[in-house]
Amino acid sequence: MPLARVYLLAGLAAIGLYFVLPWGSRGQSLLYDLIGVTSAVGVVVGTRKHRPSLSAAWYLFAAGLMAFAIGDIVFDLYSWVWHRDPPIPSMADVSYLAGYPFLAVGLVLLVRRVRREERRVGMIDAALLTVAFGICQWIFVMHPLVNGSGDWVANLVALSYPAMDVLLLAALVFLALTSARRTVAYRYLTASIVLTLVADEIYGISPERFPATSWLDVGWLLAYVLWAVSALTPSMRDLSAPRAARGPRLSHLRLLMLGGALATAPVILFVERLAHRKVDVVPLAVGSAALSGLVLLRLVGLIRSADRSRRAERAARAEVESAHRQLARQNAQLREADRLKDEFVALISHDLRTPLTSIIGYLELTLDDGNLTEKQRGYLDVADRNADRLLHLVNDLLFVARLEAGQLQLHPSELDLAAVARQSVAEAGPRAAANGIELICEADAAAPVQADRGRMFQVLDNLVSNAIKFTPSGGDVRVSVAPMNGVVRLEIADTGIGIAPEDQQRLFERFFRTSTVAQRQIPGTGLGLYIARAIVEAHGGSIAVRSEPGEGTSFCVELPAGARA
Amino acid sequence: MSGQRLVLIADDDADILALVKAVLERSGHEVVAVGDGAEALASVHARKPDLAVLDISMPHVDGLEVLRRLRADVETSGLPVILLSAQAQEADVERGFATGASGYVKKPFSPRELAERVAELLP
Repeated sequence: MPLARVYLLAGLAAIGLYFVLPWGSRGQSLLYDLIGVTSAVGVVVGTRKHRPSLSAAWYLFAAGLMAFAIGDIVFDLYSWVWHRDPPIPSMADVSYLAGYPFLAVGLVLLVRRVRREERRVGMIDAALLTVAFGICQWIFVMHPLVNGSGDWVANLVALSYPAMDVLLLAALVFLALTSARRTVAYRYLTASIVLTLVADEIYGISPERFPATSWLDVGWLLAYVLWAVSALTPSMRDLSAPRAARGPRLSHLRLLMLGGALATAPVILFVERLAHRKVDVVPLAVGSAALSGLVLLRLVGLIRSADRSRRAERAARAEVESAHRQLARQNAQLREADRLKDEFVALISHDLRTPLTSIIGYLELTLDDGNLTEKQRGYLDVADRNADRLLHLVNDLLFVARLEAGQLQLHPSELDLAAVARQSVAEAGPRAAANGIELICEADAAAPVQADRGRMFQVLDNLVSNAIKFTPSGGDVRVSVAPMNGVVRLEIADTGIGIAPEDQQRLFERFFRTSTVAQRQIPGTGLGLYIARAIVEAHGGSIAVRSEPGEGTSFCVELPAGARA
Repeated sequence: MSGQRLVLIADDDADILALVKAVLERSGHEVVAVGDGAEALASVHARKPDLAVLDISMPHVDGLEVLRRLRADVETSGLPVILLSAQAQEADVERGFATGASGYVKKPFSPRELAERVAELLP
């Protein structure tokens, strides 16, 4: 069984025993004192056991309860030892009155971890309720006491008790309104304080009706027991634990309590009028002014908080708008970049081709002239070959620019890839022969594909030209086309220099050139294979390379066979 | 081919114009060379050529526009026209034929190829 429950049952049993014992007996008084002291000890035990983050608050509670218990003991000592009522003021009064601040400060400490905003609101609301309670306390309890006997010290002591009740209530309301966790420990704690206050109030309204021992003791005794039970309950740890921020809620209960507090003055006026008593104007006016001030303070807080959220909202909106504007600006820049690229493509397309037209045209015209020496013809051949290379480069760059702009247009038709391969091989024949390379074509069976004829020529031309370029004299280049299992397979295999394995990975990247090619300064742009792959993939096909350095390279293209569904 | 034929050529690039002129004269044609589209239209009506070779990108009146006007005129709607252009995209070629071109030669061109195309189209 949990310690808290053991203590609760033992405490209830002790209270039951208290009322069974002979009234006014020493045993009864002793039991009362014992319950008080045990409650203080219980709080210390619970605090040591559960180790809350703010143990100071709980030790203050223990001190407060102990002060009460000492007050009880002193009170009893007067009766047992000196056989008389304690004087006013006595050590008992000092001890009792010292207990309240300890408890109140402990309660306020528990709220320390709450967010500042919430704490402020809780404090104002608690002050509102406390002032309202204070007005009632003054008019109905304290003011009659002043009018009693003439001894000012006795008056002061008598007034101190209800004043301390106001203090304790203020602390309790502050705790309750400031988002304390509604745990089991919290319920025991508040029940204990409420019992103390109720017993104090009932006693305070007409002290003369209650002798030293009365049924009212049940309130104070239960308050002792429940306070210790609260400290012994594990959830007491949560009371001072920091919690996630949450805006103060304006619950119905809270609204009702605040409304009640504001109605204090009119209600008191009404009650006093009904009772035909003289209205005590000064405290009522002072209290009402305090209430108004607090309401104003609360209102200011609300308005400020609303302003803050409005400012935050405005700032957030400004940020969103700024981000929006930036995005629009970036969009415009992107569009501009896109336009510049299109312009550049047009420039390549037109302005580079126009001078090349003259160069290539006049070269051919000159080469057709029979009156050239062999030397001159050789020079012009070099110029012609390089003009062709330049044209190729321009065409490749233009193609890549279009490709990256997503403007690659295919005009597919059903064609025989074998026939395309044969034609391509026939065109490359003179070049291969000039390099001493045997060009073999194995494309006899018809291999129908759905493809763009011009682009297929481009792929074949790129691959065959590469093979010829990288194969030494005396080697051979084999072009084969064969339909198989729903695909048409085109292979271009050479006995050339081959490609290192680490270069094979990057072979199809744009502008990539193998280290061998770069070292030997073999001309090229690094665009041919990139273009070939783009075309093949645009047709739904794939391209792969197999190569052994020094042995040769084989490119394998696979395209979906036949007419497109 | 019967006798000397008159070919009109139009290109805003003087070097290319001279090149085309040289190529066609070598093939034995008489050539009228003009530098823009408006002149080309005027020459067609004044000289009544047997064939026209038009560059597409010319200032003011471009080759396609010249072609369009030639096709719209009953007198010239049957004139064979070869478009000569650096705009080498499939779409450009298609647009050329759709406008009514009889042939389309991409720049840069081989003089021999151009001469052959002209010979093919001369009646």
